[in-house]
Amino acid sequence: MTLSDLIDRHESGELLDEFAKREIRRATLAAVAIPGYQVPFGSREMPVARGWGSGGLQITLAVTHDDDTVKVIDQGDDDGVNAVNLRRLVTSSTGADETTTASEATVTQSRHRIPEDGLDESSILVLQVPVPEPLRGVERDMRELARMHAEADYSRMWVSLYEDKVRNGVITQTTGYPCLVNERYVVATTPIPRWDIPRLHDAPFLTLFGAGREKRIYAIPPYTIVEPLTFEDVPFEVEDSDGARCSLCGKSESFLVSLPNSTTWLCSDTDWCARQRGSR
Amino acid sequence: MGYVSARGGLDAIRAAESLVRTKRLVSESNWLEEDQILDKLRLLVDRVMSEAGLWDPRLASKAIRQSEGDATEAVHLLRAYRSTLPRFAYSEAIDADDATVMRRIVPAFQRVPGNQLLGRSVDYTARFLERTGDDDAREEAEKLRAAQTEESRDIEPASEEIAPRRLMELLREMDMLVDRRLEDDPEPFDITRTPARPPAPRSALLSSMARADTGALVNQWYRNILGPDGYLHEVTLGEVRHANMPLNVRHPVTGETVTIMQVRVSEVEAIEDLEGVEEDRSRFDVGYGLCFGHNERKAIAMANLDIACHRDAGRTQLEQSLLLTTDALDSAGFLEHLKLPHYVTFRSMIERKIAVRKARQRRDA
Amino acid sequence: MNDTFTERRYDIARLAIPEWLLKVERLGKVYGPYDDEIIASTGSERDTAKSSINGSVVAAWDVSFEVAPGEALGIVGESGSGKTTVLRCLAGDFTPSTGSATIRLGSDDVNIFDVEPAQRRRLRVDTVSVVYQDPSEGLKMNVTAGGNIAEPLTAAGWRNFSKIRARASDLLARTEVPLNRMDDLVRAFSGGMRQRVQIAKALANSPSVVLFDEPTTGLDASVAAGVLDLIRSLLEEHRIAAVVVSHDFSVIEMLTSRCLVMHHGRIVESALTDQLLEDPHHPYTQRLVAAARA
Repeated sequence: MTLSDLIDRHESGELLDEFAKREIRRATLAAVAIPGYQVPFGSREMPVARGWGSGGLQITLAVTHDDDTVKVIDQGDDDGVNAVNLRRLVTSSTGADETTTASEATVTQSRHRIPEDGLDESSILVLQVPVPEPLRGVERDMRELARMHAEADYSRMWVSLYEDKVRNGVITQTTGYPCLVNERYVVATTPIPRWDIPRLHDAPFLTLFGAGREKRIYAIPPYTIVEPLTFEDVPFEVEDSDGARCSLCGKSESFLVSLPNSTTWLCSDTDWCARQRGSR
Repeated sequence: MGYVSARGGLDAIRAAESLVRTKRLVSESNWLEEDQILDKLRLLVDRVMSEAGLWDPRLASKAIRQSEGDATEAVHLLRAYRSTLPRFAYSEAIDADDATVMRRIVPAFQRVPGNQLLGRSVDYTARFLERTGDDDAREEAEKLRAAQTEESRDIEPASEEIAPRRLMELLREMDMLVDRRLEDDPEPFDITRTPARPPAPRSALLSSMARADTGALVNQWYRNILGPDGYLHEVTLGEVRHANMPLNVRHPVTGETVTIMQVRVSEVEAIEDLEGVEEDRSRFDVGYGLCFGHNERKAIAMANLDIACHRDAGRTQLEQSLLLTTDALDSAGFLEHLKLPHYVTFRSMIERKIAVRKARQRRDA
Repeated sequence: MNDTFTERRYDIARLAIPEWLLKVERLGKVYGPYDDEIIASTGSERDTAKSSINGSVVAAWDVSFEVAPGEALGIVGESGSGKTTVLRCLAGDFTPSTGSATIRLGSDDVNIFDVEPAQRRRLRVDTVSVVYQDPSEGLKMNVTAGGNIAEPLTAAGWRNFSKIRARASDLLARTEVPLNRMDDLVRAFSGGMRQRVQIAKALANSPSVVLFDEPTTGLDASVAAGVLDLIRSLLEEHRIAAVVVSHDFSVIEMLTSRCLVMHHGRIVESALTDQLLEDPHHPYTQRLVAAARA
């Protein structure tokens, strides 16, 4: 690529220069090669703020071509304002098509959810990560954190789970449940709900985690062992809706969110919900 | 395709965008010229360039205008723009002694070679709010302009004044400084390409602070003076400078070093009185601060924190604080992300509250 | 006088059980640069650990001993004598300047000064435990008694909540911590109770070596006596090789059968503990014993 090519690229409205994309692809490959390991990368500033999906956006821009089809959701909703904003940035910058249907998407960027269905071997799921370090709750010093990961020394995580169970009778970790990937690294599963955790295990799709502010990329390659940290005799629990049903589609098989009155429930995955209604 | 369902969100953000743009462009007052921002709000321009890590006064002025004076937002615009540009070259190392000094003070001595040069500074002007009307101000400006032309403006300052010898040189000659020059000459750490994490080389720390939010750096300094957990020595300032520095690159064809521009910087050398048990009590050490533009507050904080971090030597997490918590965009962006929808996480939290209650009931039953 | 020491050392060598489990050879820890001359400028005979040549501090030098399974070795001396330095080096908290410390692991001999930091920490999980004078060094104050014991257990791979609970309650019962305190934060415990929890934690993975650093210093006399009783019965129960560091002869007398006396970083005398107390040879030991008996 010549200098003038690079300048032409810039003038065509790209959000990242080509060198940056190459760098991000290299970091992504390293992440895939070492499942769960947080690969540092030279995270660039994006037209969206740090904490607003700048890491996910950089990965999506680096892996998306004009023949791709992208889906962008926030909280499971294609219509969330942040999802809409990111989607138009991705499509205008890459020339990719857009969709709300996960099975049609080659790249799905998401904040806080995995689509209920539709992801397969041809899919890449890009999750926006606010806090990539799963051990920060038990250790603040980054030098010590690096050591703990290097030695797979996770006993303090186990102690925190033990203490939680002793104090509260249940494990109270809510979203972003810590998981052991490929029997080696503990990762923060963004804040996706526990509901989505079992679907990371042995998943057919590639999941890429982008933390722009903390400048880390990590990955769960397809068909990787993903185990939520829990004791052998304390079953991992997903969110319990106590038999509630979505007031739009009437289904209870998806992750439901409630209105403040606690009696009206809705599917968090709006596209899945719409398809249920269509097929009814 | 379910695209139609996405319309509501798109309409909402388009409306917000339009409101911002219309209110900014359509108003009773005149269009704000770039020259006016450069000239009348020069310190804001300097600060924005310093925190963006990008020297381009015109772009910075545009960013300040677009952000309606929000410095952090302006920094964001500049950095995001910078992300779209390929990097063609790295500048050569600058010898700070090639700089031309516009202001220079040395608090450590009464008289120094090259003299104290107060220059343009409000340090000793009384902070009275001027309530002059616009017409009076214009009239005064005319008078000042006339007086200025009568004065001889063309006297060249003496060379020892614009390039004075550093106090550090003199202290070194007096054998007053510990020598901690490195054996090797490592390439400076590029914080825009590799995230700096402790333990990091000093160049990473200095680059991070040079680009840090001014307020964050001042706070880090003051927090270590008066805060609950830090302890930081007050330094004696050996050198406070506002100067023009030449920026050199190697010509891609001839290989010659060419000066492509001048950047204005604030530069500070801070003298530290060593009193630790393993330190050389008979000598001083020096902290260094340098940032784009005229921003002495930032450069002083940086110099003092540089030496504090060196002396801390990893005993506390000062280095982590400086490397990771002082960037304007990191902190502001993450703070503001709290405005994003969080109803999935919140739902999960409520579910666990109920689970805890059920567990308690089971235990008590 | 020198002859007498030699004779006694010979006795000890003959009495020592040949199957050592921990063998320390020529351990040295110096703060600052050193050479033979600087080392020679310090020690008991020079009455200082600090070299007059360059100010380097020879905190411990030429310290050698062996400990057999089921045996407790005492190291006694005043503060600054180097005894805690020796223990900290064995614990991996300090890096020694020279020497070796070999632990017999099955058929393998491992020099713990020689291994990678990760392996050294690993050894601390299941092979070498430490009971510190200050419980806050060995325990997390904001974690429950059970949780503190869960840490070495989970580090050793325990993943079953009920089994961890059972093991923790068993250990707490053996260290005489009331079981209804198991789920209380250690912060809420008295000094003696914290020390019992620390001992329970130290025993979690049935280590072969336990290092005690002034385990009862700072406790009330009656509480200290109870903790000493506990340590003694645990040492008798398990085939642990123990090193007990103390300035207090009553602790050494109660727990150990052999002991070393350290002064300014050097071993000045080593003997069977009861012999040493009855008939101290070295003038420094005589002074210490006399002070203890007073």
